[in-house]
Amino acid sequence: MKRSKKAALVLMVPVATLLLAGCGEEREQAMVFTDPSECSAAALNSAAQCEADYVAAQTLHPQVAPKYLNKEECETDFGAGQCETAPQQTTSGGSVFMPMMMGYMMGQMLNRGGAAGGNFQQPAAAGAGAAGSKIPTQPLYKSRDDRGTFRTATNTPVAGGIGPISLKPSQVKPQVGQVVRRGGFGQQAAARNSFGG
Amino acid sequence: MKRISVAERANWRAYAEEVGFNFHTFDGEPYWDETAYYQFSLQQIEEDLEAPTEELHQMTMDMVGDITRSEEMLTQLNIPRDFWSYIWNSWNKGEPHLYGRFDLVYDGTGPAKLLELNYDTPTSLFETGFFQWVWLEDQIKNGVLPERADQFNSLHDKIEQAFAQLKLPQPFYFTSVRDNIEDRGTVNYLMDMAAQAGVDVRYIALEDIGEVGEQFVDLDNQAIKGLFKLYPWEFMVQEDFARTITAANTQMLEPAWKMLLSNKGILSLLWNRYPNHPNLLPAFFETATSEPLGAGWVRKPLFSREGANVDLITSSGEKISAPGPYTDGGYVRQALHALPKYRDEYRNADTYAMLGSWVVGDSAAGICIREDESLITKDTSRFLPHIILD
Repeated sequence: MKRSKKAALVLMVPVATLLLAGCGEEREQAMVFTDPSECSAAALNSAAQCEADYVAAQTLHPQVAPKYLNKEECETDFGAGQCETAPQQTTSGGSVFMPMMMGYMMGQMLNRGGAAGGNFQQPAAAGAGAAGSKIPTQPLYKSRDDRGTFRTATNTPVAGGIGPISLKPSQVKPQVGQVVRRGGFGQQAAARNSFGG
Repeated sequence: MKRISVAERANWRAYAEEVGFNFHTFDGEPYWDETAYYQFSLQQIEEDLEAPTEELHQMTMDMVGDITRSEEMLTQLNIPRDFWSYIWNSWNKGEPHLYGRFDLVYDGTGPAKLLELNYDTPTSLFETGFFQWVWLEDQIKNGVLPERADQFNSLHDKIEQAFAQLKLPQPFYFTSVRDNIEDRGTVNYLMDMAAQAGVDVRYIALEDIGEVGEQFVDLDNQAIKGLFKLYPWEFMVQEDFARTITAANTQMLEPAWKMLLSNKGILSLLWNRYPNHPNLLPAFFETATSEPLGAGWVRKPLFSREGANVDLITSSGEKISAPGPYTDGGYVRQALHALPKYRDEYRNADTYAMLGSWVVGDSAAGICIREDESLITKDTSRFLPHIILD
């Protein structure tokens, strides 16, 4: 036979598309700790893993933490003595402030699957979380008027205390505060209306 | 090879729309046309189309390395100098390719002749791999065609296999120009097959691709590590993000070395390397000293799609031209080998047929047929299904 044995569609059929769009994403496992020693003491991860994720979160911290042009505004949101100078500067050379990191969230590896308490692999050295994990490892903060709750840099509350949690990955994607340019492709689209052949 | 009129399936338009084939009719004119089909013998398919397609593919692939090392050929092909080493690297790293299509003239006898290569952004994929496949299954089920009727069309199987084997970065992104429904249809079909092969697929409109530092990012600013782009390389290398392409470590499909093969100049380079090959037509780069276009010759822009800006003069001296926006590059000239003419009984008119022959990875993967009332096949040319029956 010179033709395909089957030619099935899964995404292009409207019902499937709706399911895909509407069904939502599943919750994933993660863990929250204040520091690596607390993480090791919980005995759910190796000490090396606890430390590596902590370093990854710390590296991400100055990039993703909310930024303020004066310390008072920062402390209004995060409490007296809870803010520090960010490594960034304003274009005129002024200081920038950000809240201190109060804890970190560890993503759980996809390929280990299963319940919280599973093994964690080495995370990426820095940046948006361990490769392969749906929940990116990242720093957490606490606001002035709600000291019990850990929040992400974009103010999403994730946990009321330390230990395993489950949440949807899209809620906690770290937004690195870098300059994004868009529209750099497609400029000839207006002039020529067909691109396939 | 015969053209045979046949009744249309009663509900095909509704079915087409249900499966996302929204461009079956374009500006009120039919694009998908099942008022007739073409019938081939198995021998015609295997000896005249399948084997020559694989041979042409191999000949073409054998030239890529030489072109990447030749300043003369890269210049003839109008490849921007900033991209020479990027292309060389893309070839030498062995960056994988997915698919391509040869356009051939064939009338049932004698060697098929290569008109051109669509090796970067070939479309009409869904019509070939899915819709004409379903058409045959339906017509067999309806008793219109015999059980033993077959089709040269393993496109769907082969592309799905390719996606399963390519080891693409995950998630893998697909992009096309936002408002082009035909291109979006092609990309949706590719995403569908990739998803079935286990790829984590994401769509992003071409205009939404972002750049942070030296990395392409999606709308959530997440890195795009792998990208299928239904947008010509020759445009990408001229646009604002061109510099980012060479700096970013995004794996592209088709890879950059395909830029050398989607260029009509390859027709001249092929003829120069394999003169008088039975499946090739004489072809030469047009230069400042070229004679005016003579009878029996075709003039094609190096970069052009869907027949745009093609001029030809028939052996009897009649000039036929297709308008278009591709007037800003060089040209090649190719000996005219006229498309075979058939009688369209449904429209009571003459029609010319061109044959597209697909390659997935390095294997021939099926054919598609486009018909036009003129000798130049265009984006408006109708798509007709085919069968194999001895």
